[in-house]
Amino acid sequence: MQIADFSQPIRQSAKGIIVIFAFNTFKFFKRFFVLFLAFGLSLMRKKMLFNISALNLLLIVIGILILLLVFAILKYLNFKFHLSKDDFYLSTGIINKDQTIIPKSKIQNVYIKQNFLQQIINVVSLNIETAGDNKSEIEISALDKATALQLKRELFQKTQISENSVQDNVETKRDVFFKVSPKRLILEGISQNHLRSFTIIASFVFGLYYEFKDYIKTYRLKERLDTFIDLSEDTIVNIMLTNLFIVILAILFSLLFSILKTFITNFGLEVVENRKTIEINKGLFNKVSLSLTPSRIQNIVIKTNRVKQYFGLHTMQVKQAMVNVKQRKNFVIIALEKAQVRHLINKLITNYSEDTVPYKPLLFYRRVLALRVLLLAILLNIITFFIFGNGIWWINLVLIPIAALYSYFGYKKAFYKIDDNFITIGSGVIETTLNILEIHKIQSVSLKQNIFQKRKQIASLEIATASKSVKIPYIALKQAKYIYNFLLFKVESQDRDWM
Amino acid sequence: MFSNQIINIEALPNVDTATLKPISKTYLKVIILNKLMLCVVVLAILTAAKFFVTKAIVQERFWFIFLLVLGLWLINLIITILAFKKRKYAIREHDVIYAKGLLVNSITTVPISRIQHIEESRSWLARQFGLATLNLYTAGESGSDLNISGLPHDDARQVNDFISAKINANS
Repeated sequence: MQIADFSQPIRQSAKGIIVIFAFNTFKFFKRFFVLFLAFGLSLMRKKMLFNISALNLLLIVIGILILLLVFAILKYLNFKFHLSKDDFYLSTGIINKDQTIIPKSKIQNVYIKQNFLQQIINVVSLNIETAGDNKSEIEISALDKATALQLKRELFQKTQISENSVQDNVETKRDVFFKVSPKRLILEGISQNHLRSFTIIASFVFGLYYEFKDYIKTYRLKERLDTFIDLSEDTIVNIMLTNLFIVILAILFSLLFSILKTFITNFGLEVVENRKTIEINKGLFNKVSLSLTPSRIQNIVIKTNRVKQYFGLHTMQVKQAMVNVKQRKNFVIIALEKAQVRHLINKLITNYSEDTVPYKPLLFYRRVLALRVLLLAILLNIITFFIFGNGIWWINLVLIPIAALYSYFGYKKAFYKIDDNFITIGSGVIETTLNILEIHKIQSVSLKQNIFQKRKQIASLEIATASKSVKIPYIALKQAKYIYNFLLFKVESQDRDWM
Repeated sequence: MFSNQIINIEALPNVDTATLKPISKTYLKVIILNKLMLCVVVLAILTAAKFFVTKAIVQERFWFIFLLVLGLWLINLIITILAFKKRKYAIREHDVIYAKGLLVNSITTVPISRIQHIEESRSWLARQFGLATLNLYTAGESGSDLNISGLPHDDARQVNDFISAKINANS
């Protein structure tokens, strides 16, 4: 392995031109996508547009592409970085020259990512994230993998140690703890919440329809569709069959979408244990490599549902402070066994015990849950009455059992545990969610009471950390106040930092 | 070392015993003036619509819409006035407490050691009445930031100095 020297200003790999060019072109076309489509369609019809012929238009597009290429080359030539003992230097800018200096101690995260194009030309991009606003993020878009890893190491290395010892350390400690198998990935895909996939697909189709409403009108798609429906309107059975067919198709599509999505984002997921941190690698087209630092973790959320429980699948989300919004959704490890979840929790937070006595919200909470769904059911009833008239009351036969199950499970799954160092909160209706947070990471505590709760001497507690706020719903006021005082005492009496 | 002694529940500092101080009464004037301004603007837009929009629904139902807006505004105003008494705050040695809300009452406490920075802001109207708003920013979700409006300017400055000094001493 060739060792790069970062002490002198260097450029990224020359392949960076391709990456920058592709990225800018993509961004450009994405921004004017609708415009291009409109141009293209009207060109097809009239062969002319603002008196510009198709050939001229093609020339314009080529001109734009050349401009983008020149821009990419200039950007590449002007992008230089180097490292000193304590700082990272970066100079950018074609006309306006910018020089950025980041002290190594202020670097929060270093990610290595690889999108599809970068995989083809075999480079990776390195993101450096500092505390503070999103603008302070730096991306070096093309480095070969060895250089990127070395740069990452040197960024985290505060005092200069000789090169060899560092490398030895890293290599011996690399210990793959968990690697997902394709079978478990598919199982995970099957047991996703398909309703969510369905809404994504539905909104996408609807958005597409909205965008192309005019064109669909011109091609008289609606009338063609009408004639198609007319044909099958012969018997009631036919309508029923078409409806059934549509429903099955929708379910199949949602299922396929869920599986594909899980597969693409989590392909080759592996969790690597280092001495202090945990590293997550995953992705098919967009490969990402992230590291988790225990001190920065604010909340740990573990999710599963009935089906997943049967297959032994658990999802673990780790919420960290000071993480870029885009990266946040990547700190998720799926398809874990229960024992693996336990192991990871113990690795990430010390001294966590599961044996604390769980407490439940008051029974009143179940009534409130039932009331909430009942209100929704009444609303649905009113809407369906106005749309379909009197003959639709039978939907209550479906709605009421759903409401009953909702309040039953909503209450059954709700609990909270508090010990000396941790708060654990269980919740969920379809999903089973477990929220763990360390008491010394609390940012604020809030006691809430609406007028009905006040009359019954009941309160809810909201506990916020730097990345999430969790709720203990409907407990006795006295208990709530005791917890409130206890948590504040804990936070204020120990001099432990939240990060 | 790890220790796990039993904590005496009764001996813990209690939020109930902290005496919460109501915010300045003059702030109610600021709220009412702000609400009045909003009401006038909305009704003015409605009246303008009556003259410029010729659609039947606007013309026929004008008074209905007008009174509906006015009624909603009145209910909102009454609730705000009643809720005003619930706006209270306290600064303790280690934390800041702020209570508010009539329909949903909440008491929020932010430990001073978790405050990232503190800011005093004064709108034009508040300046006329000698009031100020204190914004306490934590690293938490935006929901966990505390905004205490309607403090007398001197009080606000004292609190600001006290908390700033504490924050600086901590870090």
